[in-house]
Amino acid sequence: MKTVIQLAFAGLLSLGLSLPLAAEPLKSRFVTPDWTVAETLLALGVRPQGVGELAGYQSWVGTPAMPASVQDIGLRSQPNLELLIEMQPEKILLTRMFRSLERPMSRIAPTTLIDNQAGETAWQSMVAQTKEIGRIANRSAAADALIRAAEQHIDALAGQIDYTGEPLLVVQFMDAVHARVFGINSLYGSVLERLRIDNAWTGRANSWGFALTSLRELAAIEGRLVIVAPTPLGTDVTASGLWQALPSVRRGDVLWLPPAWSFGALPSAQRFAEILAEAL
Amino acid sequence: MIVLSPPARVCLLLGITLIVLAGSGGAFTAPDLTALYLGWWPRLVMALLAGGGLALAGAVMQQALRNPLATPTTLGVVSGTQFSLLVATVAFPGLLIVGREWVALAGGAMAMGVVVLLAWRSRLAPVVVILAGLIVNLYLSALSIVMLLLHQEKLHGVLIWGAGSLAQSGWDGVAFLWPRLLLAAPLAILLARPLDILSLGDAQARSLGVSLHYIRLAALGVALFLAACVTSVAGVVGFVGLAAPTAARLLGARGFLAVASWSVAIGALLLAVIDLLLQAVSASSPLIIPTGAMTAVLGGPLLLWLLFRLKLSGKPPLRQRPALPSSRHGSLKWGLMLLGLLAAIALSLGTGQALQGWRWFDLAHAAAMLEWRLPRALAAGSAGAILAIAGVIVQRLTRNPMASPELLGISGGAALGLIGALFLLRGATIPALVTAGFIGALVGIAVVILLNRRSGFIPQRLLLTGVAVTAIASGVQSILLAGGDPRGQQAIAWMSGSTYYVDITAAAIIAAVAIVSLLVVPLFSRWLDLLPLGATVATGLGLNTNRSRFVLLLVVALLTACATLIVGPLSFVGLLAPHMARMAGFTNARSHLLGAAGLGCLLMVAADWVGRQVLYPQEIPAGLVASLVGGIYFFIGMRRL
Repeated sequence: MKTVIQLAFAGLLSLGLSLPLAAEPLKSRFVTPDWTVAETLLALGVRPQGVGELAGYQSWVGTPAMPASVQDIGLRSQPNLELLIEMQPEKILLTRMFRSLERPMSRIAPTTLIDNQAGETAWQSMVAQTKEIGRIANRSAAADALIRAAEQHIDALAGQIDYTGEPLLVVQFMDAVHARVFGINSLYGSVLERLRIDNAWTGRANSWGFALTSLRELAAIEGRLVIVAPTPLGTDVTASGLWQALPSVRRGDVLWLPPAWSFGALPSAQRFAEILAEAL
Repeated sequence: MIVLSPPARVCLLLGITLIVLAGSGGAFTAPDLTALYLGWWPRLVMALLAGGGLALAGAVMQQALRNPLATPTTLGVVSGTQFSLLVATVAFPGLLIVGREWVALAGGAMAMGVVVLLAWRSRLAPVVVILAGLIVNLYLSALSIVMLLLHQEKLHGVLIWGAGSLAQSGWDGVAFLWPRLLLAAPLAILLARPLDILSLGDAQARSLGVSLHYIRLAALGVALFLAACVTSVAGVVGFVGLAAPTAARLLGARGFLAVASWSVAIGALLLAVIDLLLQAVSASSPLIIPTGAMTAVLGGPLLLWLLFRLKLSGKPPLRQRPALPSSRHGSLKWGLMLLGLLAAIALSLGTGQALQGWRWFDLAHAAAMLEWRLPRALAAGSAGAILAIAGVIVQRLTRNPMASPELLGISGGAALGLIGALFLLRGATIPALVTAGFIGALVGIAVVILLNRRSGFIPQRLLLTGVAVTAIASGVQSILLAGGDPRGQQAIAWMSGSTYYVDITAAAIIAAVAIVSLLVVPLFSRWLDLLPLGATVATGLGLNTNRSRFVLLLVVALLTACATLIVGPLSFVGLLAPHMARMAGFTNARSHLLGAAGLGCLLMVAADWVGRQVLYPQEIPAGLVASLVGGIYFFIGMRRL
């Protein structure tokens, strides 16, 4: 009975959450080169005026879907200046990674640098970033709702799956031999933590919370493999001998997940939680 | 008691180190046997095979070209394979399933072919071959940067491969490599050995009725196959092909067969030892330190040291084709150039794409954009002129039409400075980046000057110093890019050199530098007229060659450092503009300087404009456009020299 109620609750929540996404997002004149800010804006029900490298957004972030009317402003590292002037944006949103754009951008429109590593944990950073974007976009209520909904949704999923198996080892393959493995301070890692699932990777990590490892390093770790797409084109990661010998492969419990942007914000985190819960 | 020869002693020493490292690395005591048998051992065998294969390829290339600096890296083979794999990954991933090694081989063959073609006229003279290789390497890295700018996320795997991580996931790589090595190695040795007997000289060989060229080319072809096969599975591993044969020769190995076999042994053991050491270090660091890139970094100083042992002939490596007679149509040439420059400026300021398509000389629109277009056009044009002036000085100073300020190591220094600032400062601002780049460039200059001071700035040596600095810079770059840190994209955007970040103040500064250099450099015209005649003649005519070389070098260094910060380390303008000016008949130093400056300005203004339009709204940096377009002209023009 308890699970039924939980399931219904989770269903309701996800329904409630997807509502602002389903509705036509409000038109805005916010521009951002950064996909993380873009997906947050969309989740807050705000349609950005322009975003960098839209084709890349479609294949790496995907959801929330970018409305067709959003303008591609060129490279994320160097958005097209003349185009931006013509678009006359109301505000340009940057993250710390694009700090060198602050000066040229601020000559075009008021520019805000959003600190995407403000919190102590990856989750806190995402929450802080969402709040700040909500404040800037004048959608603070929506931001609070998004944060609350994401937390409740993931907590509900945690209760629903109640995972007690092997700790999970979340990786993304770069080629047949190398993979990024995501530690506690990454987007994936913070979702695992909220789902009350142990992360098998406790080793080194960079400031984005991941480390580049080789298969041999992974073979030494007891854990259930979670492989996040996309896997690199032109290589078959499952062909190698070492792959066959991985503990998780031998047990036959490898999970293959569709893509979720590993440098994303709350919507990506939530999406990762959903696809992981579904796979489990 | 058995007395061992020096190379045997070194191999024994390396072998013992290897066994000790292997033991402490857990080769015999590891608890996890599968990881040991499917990860550790294949990696060790791969390191041995790759090291041996590359060492042999290097030895054969050095023999075939009679050039102690010839290696798969310096001949462009490695960057050719890397570029072809980048293209295949982005555009034709199906090809990679068909056969990585064939893609790699095609790219490597093409690059080496161009190098050989460029140096053909000079009878494959060592310095010319190495310079041609450096130019091809730089050109391919400009192309690679365009790919990385546009397809960052797709290419992470290629970047790891490009840094030469030797990690294995089974015996597949080894199984692929050993039969090919077994096939190619005896063939290479068989082909290269006759060259040993005939190393007395081409003339004598011809009189014996042997077609040296064909044997040479065949040996090179097999070495190419060796290098491409190794590179396609093991990734880019730098400088083993240089280090091993050099060590073998220095340790007293004489004759090709001895050099080749000791090279293979030393190369194999050396790479394996370095790989094991780096594995031990990597275990405790947040970054994988890829072995291949690290050997490139270590190889840089080795290359430098070798350069100073290389006997360089005083003869100019290339005879420059006499330029067209200059006196006639003098004013017509200047008029045409001015017209072209005005047209480019008009196009750059007046025309561009907008949301609703092209705006051709729409005055209202252009006026609104002037604030943005003017600094970019001004900065691009000024940087072009500055590089052209520096190029004229370098080409006259070194008496070498392949010389270019980009090759002096200054750009490599600037790139290292930028990377350092991006990765060490949290969220670096523009002034911080510019300062770091400038400091890096100055350090690069200081290194070049200090290293060349004792030898009196011998032109060819001066140029080759850049090869080493560039090798170090690109090694560091690939280590950082392989880690997959998102800041890598920023580094690429900066190093590609664009006028993107230039505001009117910066543009005014660089324009002032251009004007000052246009006024000051012609004062050195006498030196620049005398130096191409050769040191003896110049000294005879009362020129202090050492002092004039030093002063001119300093001028070049400062000019290049300024321009590099605007258009990046990879524009070919400093190479092209002096060339085109000479072809157009601007022969004496003064008109050569002014003509090249005008052409350089024209080239960069046009490149900046094209870069902003061709993939609108994505922008291709001006420096890259200039090198892509200019490079093609150069390769065509160079063959006729």
